[in-house]
Amino acid sequence: MTVEILNQEFENNLAQLKSYLVRITASATDAEDIAQDTYLKATEKLDTFRGESSLKTWFFTIASNLAKDNLRAQKRWVENVTDITRAAALSHQEFFQEAMHIRSTSPNGQYEAKEHIAFCFTCISKSLPLEQQLSVFLKEVYEFKVSEITTILDTTEAMVKYYLHTGRSKMISIFEGRCALINKKGVCDQCSELNGIFNPKQNTQEELMKIELVKEAEKGNKEHLFDLRMQILKEIDPFKSKASELQLHHLEHNRKVMEKYLEKKAE
Amino acid sequence: MTTATKTQNARLNDEVGQGKATTVRTTFSRQTAVSIEIKSDAAIVWALLTKASDYPRWNSTVTSIEGNIALSETIKLKSILDAKRTFKLKVKEFEPSKKLVWGGGQGNRIYTITNSGNGIVTFSMTEKIGGLMFPMYAKMIPSFDRSFEQFAGDLKKESETIMSAK
Repeated sequence: MTVEILNQEFENNLAQLKSYLVRITASATDAEDIAQDTYLKATEKLDTFRGESSLKTWFFTIASNLAKDNLRAQKRWVENVTDITRAAALSHQEFFQEAMHIRSTSPNGQYEAKEHIAFCFTCISKSLPLEQQLSVFLKEVYEFKVSEITTILDTTEAMVKYYLHTGRSKMISIFEGRCALINKKGVCDQCSELNGIFNPKQNTQEELMKIELVKEAEKGNKEHLFDLRMQILKEIDPFKSKASELQLHHLEHNRKVMEKYLEKKAE
Repeated sequence: MTTATKTQNARLNDEVGQGKATTVRTTFSRQTAVSIEIKSDAAIVWALLTKASDYPRWNSTVTSIEGNIALSETIKLKSILDAKRTFKLKVKEFEPSKKLVWGGGQGNRIYTITNSGNGIVTFSMTEKIGGLMFPMYAKMIPSFDRSFEQFAGDLKKESETIMSAK
């Protein structure tokens, strides 16, 4: 293995790696830092790479270990994170002023409900136990095999299957109870609400009906709806999408709100 | 041991691994047991048994468990056997992937997982309740048989579903 090959492979996988990192940490800064540290560690340890896994799996293993060191020290978020952060945003005028500024000036400041669906999954997934959250992302979004996740998380195949099944079941159950896109009785319709604010000239219902997840909702197949939700995440690069700047601003707000909320709760 | 008890124990042994509950009654105690073979990994069975908040998702006999299932911790369990009552139980033994024991004033619930080879584990669950005052309240305690069978059946189904995932 040469440094040139490593550099090339790292470059090829960097977008996916950063996407994974920002979704598990909910911090663009942490994602950038961990991606840099992953590169440094990979170059340092290049002579130990035996080729037993792909380089992509190896990069994700290093990155996951670095992220886990940070994440283990933090409290997990709560299922109703979007209620808590919504209330905080409404009482914080600057949040909307900043968001509107991004919306009107940035080429990556568009608002799309689809992007908010991906963002929403990122936030709620932080209520899962850490191993469940990482396993769900690695398998459902970044398409690693169970055997590769076993390497990345340094655990057994049985436990990866357990994390995947319980994590997926939990997320399906949370969205079934909360998401108004798939359940008319769902308590959260922020993606529609924000569409009304950021795209006032659009017919929100019409826009939503363009999304496969919403179109299929009436059939009520929960597993299929979850797969469609995952498809949305696969298609979006949280650092380069048309809505990336707006969504990263929103994510930073939510992270700060949740840190304060969890700190207060622990007192 | 009386002849009746011996017969009951023999029946219990015959039904090991089939998921059928058996109860052995004496004057001062009652012991219910169930055993079932599960095509899964002991770690998966153990993870399901020890994640308190996840019970209601897969186990139709448990309404809720609050607390942390770990050695010396106290948990609060609500079951379908008596919906109004909360059982405060202490975790007395905790041997990962092998044995879990929790109990209260009336008795202990013992869970064991043993490797039977060929990718199969045998899960057993036993609870003995009793004491000198037992005859006074024995008739007020409902039979555990049905809920034990449901518990073991649910655990088998969930463990095998997880294990068979690709």
